[in-house]
Amino acid sequence: MTEHAWRLRGAAVAAAGALLAAGCAPGGGGAPNGGDLQGVQLKVAAKWTGVEQDNFVEVLSGFEEQTGATVEYEPTGEDTGAYLGPKIEAGEPPDVALLPQPGLLEEYAAQDALVPLSGDAAAALEENYTGYWSDLGSVDGEAYGILLKAAHKSIIWYRPEAFDAAGVQPPKTWDDMVGTTASTLSDAGETPFAMCGASGWTLTDWFENVYLSQAGPEKYDRLTAHEIPWTDPSVVDALETMAEVWGEGDYMAGGTDGAVQTDFPTCVTQVYGQQEAAMVYEADFVAASAAEAGATVGETAQAFPFPAVGDAAPVVVGGDIAVAMSENEGTQELLAYLASAEAQTTWAGLGGYLSANSQVQPDAYADDFTRQLSQTVLDAGEDVRYDMSDQVPSQFGATEGRGMWAVLQDFLRDPGDPEATAQDLEDAAQEAY
Amino acid sequence: MAHTPQPPDAGGGATTEHGPADPGPPGPGENAPEGHEPGRAGALGPPSWMALAFLLPALLFLGAYMLYPIGFSVYRSLWDAPGTTFVGLDNYVRMFTNPPTFVALRNNVVWVVVAPVVVTVAGLVFAVLTERIRWATAFKLVVFMPMAVSFLASGVIFRLVYEQDPERGLANAVITTVQDTVAPAGDFPDASPREGSGVEPADGGYRLAAQVSPGGEPALVPLVGIAADDLPASAEPAAEPGAAADGAVTGTVWLDFTPGGGGAEGAVDPEERGLPGVGVRLVDDGGATAATTETADDGTFSFEGVADGAYTVELDPRDFTEPYGGVTWLGPTLVTPAIIGAYLWVWAGFAMVLIAAGLSAIPRDALEAARVDGATEWQVFRRVTVPLLSPVLMVVFVTLMIYVLKIFDLVFVIAPGSVQADANVLAVEMWRVAFGANDQGMGSALAVFLLVLVVPAMVFQIRRFRRENS
Amino acid sequence: MSDDAATTAPPGAGPDPLPDPDGAEGALRRSAAARAAARLGSGAVQLLLVLIALFWLVPTLGLFVSSLRAPADNASSGWWTVLARPAELTLENYAGLLDNPAFVGSFWNTVLITVPATLLIVVIASLAGYAFAWMEFPGRDWLFLGVVGLLVVPIQVALVPIAQLYGGAGIYGSIAGVVLFHVGFGLPFAIFLLRNFFAAIPRDLLEAARMDGGRELTIFRRVILPLGGPAIASLTIFQFLWVWNDLLVALVFADAANQPMTKALQAEMRQFGANIDVISSGAFISMVVPLVVFFAFQRYFVQGVMAGAVK
Repeated sequence: MTEHAWRLRGAAVAAAGALLAAGCAPGGGGAPNGGDLQGVQLKVAAKWTGVEQDNFVEVLSGFEEQTGATVEYEPTGEDTGAYLGPKIEAGEPPDVALLPQPGLLEEYAAQDALVPLSGDAAAALEENYTGYWSDLGSVDGEAYGILLKAAHKSIIWYRPEAFDAAGVQPPKTWDDMVGTTASTLSDAGETPFAMCGASGWTLTDWFENVYLSQAGPEKYDRLTAHEIPWTDPSVVDALETMAEVWGEGDYMAGGTDGAVQTDFPTCVTQVYGQQEAAMVYEADFVAASAAEAGATVGETAQAFPFPAVGDAAPVVVGGDIAVAMSENEGTQELLAYLASAEAQTTWAGLGGYLSANSQVQPDAYADDFTRQLSQTVLDAGEDVRYDMSDQVPSQFGATEGRGMWAVLQDFLRDPGDPEATAQDLEDAAQEAY
Repeated sequence: MAHTPQPPDAGGGATTEHGPADPGPPGPGENAPEGHEPGRAGALGPPSWMALAFLLPALLFLGAYMLYPIGFSVYRSLWDAPGTTFVGLDNYVRMFTNPPTFVALRNNVVWVVVAPVVVTVAGLVFAVLTERIRWATAFKLVVFMPMAVSFLASGVIFRLVYEQDPERGLANAVITTVQDTVAPAGDFPDASPREGSGVEPADGGYRLAAQVSPGGEPALVPLVGIAADDLPASAEPAAEPGAAADGAVTGTVWLDFTPGGGGAEGAVDPEERGLPGVGVRLVDDGGATAATTETADDGTFSFEGVADGAYTVELDPRDFTEPYGGVTWLGPTLVTPAIIGAYLWVWAGFAMVLIAAGLSAIPRDALEAARVDGATEWQVFRRVTVPLLSPVLMVVFVTLMIYVLKIFDLVFVIAPGSVQADANVLAVEMWRVAFGANDQGMGSALAVFLLVLVVPAMVFQIRRFRRENS
Repeated sequence: MSDDAATTAPPGAGPDPLPDPDGAEGALRRSAAARAAARLGSGAVQLLLVLIALFWLVPTLGLFVSSLRAPADNASSGWWTVLARPAELTLENYAGLLDNPAFVGSFWNTVLITVPATLLIVVIASLAGYAFAWMEFPGRDWLFLGVVGLLVVPIQVALVPIAQLYGGAGIYGSIAGVVLFHVGFGLPFAIFLLRNFFAAIPRDLLEAARMDGGRELTIFRRVILPLGGPAIASLTIFQFLWVWNDLLVALVFADAANQPMTKALQAEMRQFGANIDVISSGAFISMVVPLVVFFAFQRYFVQGVMAGAVK
């Protein structure tokens, strides 16, 4: 669940996004080649605003130059589903839309609101994306979508100053993190973690990382599909592991009460603004909030990979999936272009962008930080997983006061009984699936 | 501002027959105007079709936005989420079995039982008290003002008030200030014992597990968990306790953490600092305090002239008292009462103004007569004022009840994400189900249920209206 | 409640909603002892009411002061600390909001929704109120009872059906859809209020006008509207504030481009702590218009609200 595109806050995110981009390489689109889509007009809808929007529009302009088509960008606002729903009903959807959740993709596919990828677009997907990624945008074997812009959800942000004061290093394993890093920070009088408990989606992200690393990708997929129940011992194990942090009121800024009441990105401010805590877990987009809180990303705000709980460190990714919603001329060509390494390399150079395209080279990125992130995604290969809460029915995975959000918030409040929590999750899942 | 307003006083402002500039309010005690019987247009009246022309726009709107939706909602509530399968009363059954909806129902009951009573009583108290001050108009304006602003703004205002951190939330700031005067926080609330050092918690303070005896080994009390910045300025580098002479017990209480790491655990390292001003006491085997002292700036302490025997070294809990964190207003247990508090803030003015108008309509003679008969003021209030006011109180109460049943904005805005489930009410649940989860079958069922709940008010209303106009 | 409740000042004589109790003092004969006791009690009452008034004022003040502080200050300390450091106050939050097209747009959306909705309600309800009050037609009384019954219908009943209707008509998400919804749900109250007011207009005036051969529309314009002025003013102000302050209807029927301030601000609430600068200043801006209207026309507004009570 990425929630950082604030409706009234375009400018703030934009400014921070720009900080991520070390240099602004101009878009290097290919030379115009004849313009075989001269006069064609296309509409693309996504939730990006500010700098994110500017960068995307710049990427789109490459397509315009190559083909002669005109592409119009429509911002959807925060709730893409609420924006598209009525448009679909009214029969006027945009040609291409960027969906923030695969769950939405499935829903629209079931309503016949999507056009399957074909021709160049299908070929581009085949060519540029490895198995897991291409399946992500498919429903019943039919490919509909391309993961265009990824969000890396397996990093933990920290304040180097606090680490130095306590004399600790970024941990490699979960046990190190809990046993050494957190406890030493605590001894040094630094609160180890800021939690964003009031924003339920951050808690599902915690769970997904722990579960993916501890139970492995295969179980992760089965749990996502609800093929195994939430009462499965692997879930209980993951909850017990999480309780090693969540159960320690002293490890969280504001104690347990404070942890549940702090929203994202206030938790980021607690680390980088008020300096009340040393670490905060959330995705790469924390960079924007950290910068806003006064930190310099890469210097006073740094991140380490989510430590391995089991054999391998998890790599959980979220992101926006491009789909075709009309059969208008040029739609598939536009998707093919967006899926290409060329377009995404341009985008990577603009900053604030992470690709899931296996053909985009690490050196395409404008800054070291994103380059390293992209490397972890490539290294994880087939073991990368997409955010679980965005794949399950939104009633269960992405609704305030419901399902995973609410149950995990209760668990953060009192992590004493993982089995009961697993049962609560299963009950909520039963209701939603 | 509130939705779906209720009907006005049947007399309207016109009954007072002031000029247009001074319409006068509807007096709650007044009845329908006599003399000019409304509506008997007589022979001169226009034909019926003309009336229809005047009514047509209104009827179209009422039909499209009220009658049709009622019918459609009832119909839709009998179908499943996508509207493809007829499920009969399933949605209604689920409403009472589904845990989130059940919480909503339960909270609505709390709301309906508590909020109207609290607000009506507050309104009555304010109305009576304001009769005794010269600045009543100003007071009423202030208390009535929240009625003019949105529930959203009121919600934002109370989110600020209820903020957990006493540094930022007004309610907790007030409470903790009071509490801290009663029981002030210690200098080292964050401290915890160095693990494996033999220091253990005791009644809020700490003690050494191993006993000491005069002239024996010095007592080392290593503590951790205090940020270097939080040490008092007077703290000096910790010193090893001096060897204890006969009849003396010495020791050091210090922050056993070398900035930047390193240093041996449980040993006084060069860069570590002492904890000054910590109360230390020697407790003998009988549990009696043999002696007390305070640590010096370098953390050392010593007791002289101690009788032989084994003692326990204890640190005074007062130095480690955690500051009172305030009340978790917006936690799962208190969130509904907290929102009812905000509701009182918004609606008390409404109750007060209506009741005050009712009070002013009470005949002076009735009160005077009671007083002449020797009734105390309390008796006058109980026996005369309140009974005469009861129609107005009833009006206020029923109106509040109708609004409370449909309460949406305040709950939606004040409850943070993590307690939305605990604060849930029917109207919020309806919105969530119908537009969040896209289950319009269940959403319609909830809406119909709300409609059923207000039917008694509807009947009350129609009967009252007919009585007044007959 | 103290024993001597209501001794010091008898209730204001007028039916004014906010009666000025001046001149009430001394209207009753009291013994010297009672007077002394009353004075003491009165001191306590004064103090109590001052405290209550503070309880009502201070939270609002808190919002206002918070809106004048930089986000970092709000994150680290309470608004009341400005008392010690008034230099902290800044207009930056407001400057930021006014520079923000999304917020400025939502402000205009609020205006574009509120003004037409209020006007439509007043016009349509005046016509209907006149017809119900002074025209004869079959089933009139039953029809009006129907309107009375509709007064308490919860808005929730219409959300799903109208959303579907709008989807079909292609106005889902538009300002027009929001406006029309407000008109639909504002009408029962508006008709009820105006009908009762119009019905109380002296019969002779109408008879005379009709005798003179005045056409109905002319009578409506020349006689009813001027005489109904106060009621129409109450209704206008009440509806204006109601629509201006609405959140639920906008939440369901307005899309991102057409959302009013309330919905725009609500979207920020999920990150309350981090967005407090936007939320506090935005909420305050959204309050300014209602507060001005309230203080300028408080008599009419109070009257409208009182008319809103079940009677």
